[in-house]
Amino acid sequence: MLTAVMITIIVLSNAAGDVLISRGMKCIGEVSTLHPRKLLTIGLQIITNRDFLLGVFSLAISFFSFLAVLTWADMSFVVPATSVYYVVSILGAKFILGERISRLRWAGTVLVCVGVALICLP
Amino acid sequence: MKTPIVLTLAILAQAIGNTCLSKGMKNIAALSSTENGFFLRMILHAMGDPTLWLGTLLLILFFILFAAALSWADLSFVIPVISFGYIVNVALAHQFLDEPVSSMRWLGTGFIFLGVILVSRTGSRRTAAADNPIQRSPAR
Repeated sequence: MLTAVMITIIVLSNAAGDVLISRGMKCIGEVSTLHPRKLLTIGLQIITNRDFLLGVFSLAISFFSFLAVLTWADMSFVVPATSVYYVVSILGAKFILGERISRLRWAGTVLVCVGVALICLP
Repeated sequence: MKTPIVLTLAILAQAIGNTCLSKGMKNIAALSSTENGFFLRMILHAMGDPTLWLGTLLLILFFILFAAALSWADLSFVIPVISFGYIVNVALAHQFLDEPVSSMRWLGTGFIFLGVILVSRTGSRRTAAADNPIQRSPAR
């Protein structure tokens, strides 16, 4: 039961974090340079972006919950179980970020989910 | 070309990082938890464990690559493609953590693999409605 609660927390905070970080990074624009000075400027923009910071906070909750659950559960169970977050994130991408999800993309995501469900069977 | 390179590196960093963390945390779990000050000892032990440091650094690297990819690609593209890492994870857990992997788990990884192939065929470019000048520019 505790494992199930922890996995729910990991999934929700991870998905929220991804959506927020995606929104923040889209706001900053395409990173297409390897020039150190330019990267530094982009880095400063990123760490002062509100969406990005909230996303990092959300992912931190997910990360520490993940660390805790690994102390008592098998990684090859925990990691696939938490990957349910892919569906939640894609729903977030559709309804919050306004991305258009093609049928092929949905099909691929559903296959990933079936794979995750199979992996989680004892 | 940029997208496949960045995402492949991200997948490898995440899978190896997760394996290191699991190995490190299992060592900590082996400490006795009945004594006073267990939590403090746990943190001190974690700080001195190179496997945990390596795992954490690899996950930071993953995060930087992931955020960079999100600056130009759809979240709904990047996320399923990154799920390929779960296959690498199961393989690494089997190989280095001696965790049993049933044939059902291997079948599941096959589904994930097919799903990633399908999503990767949709292209990574942005589909979201324009909300910044870069997207609106006809030159791009």
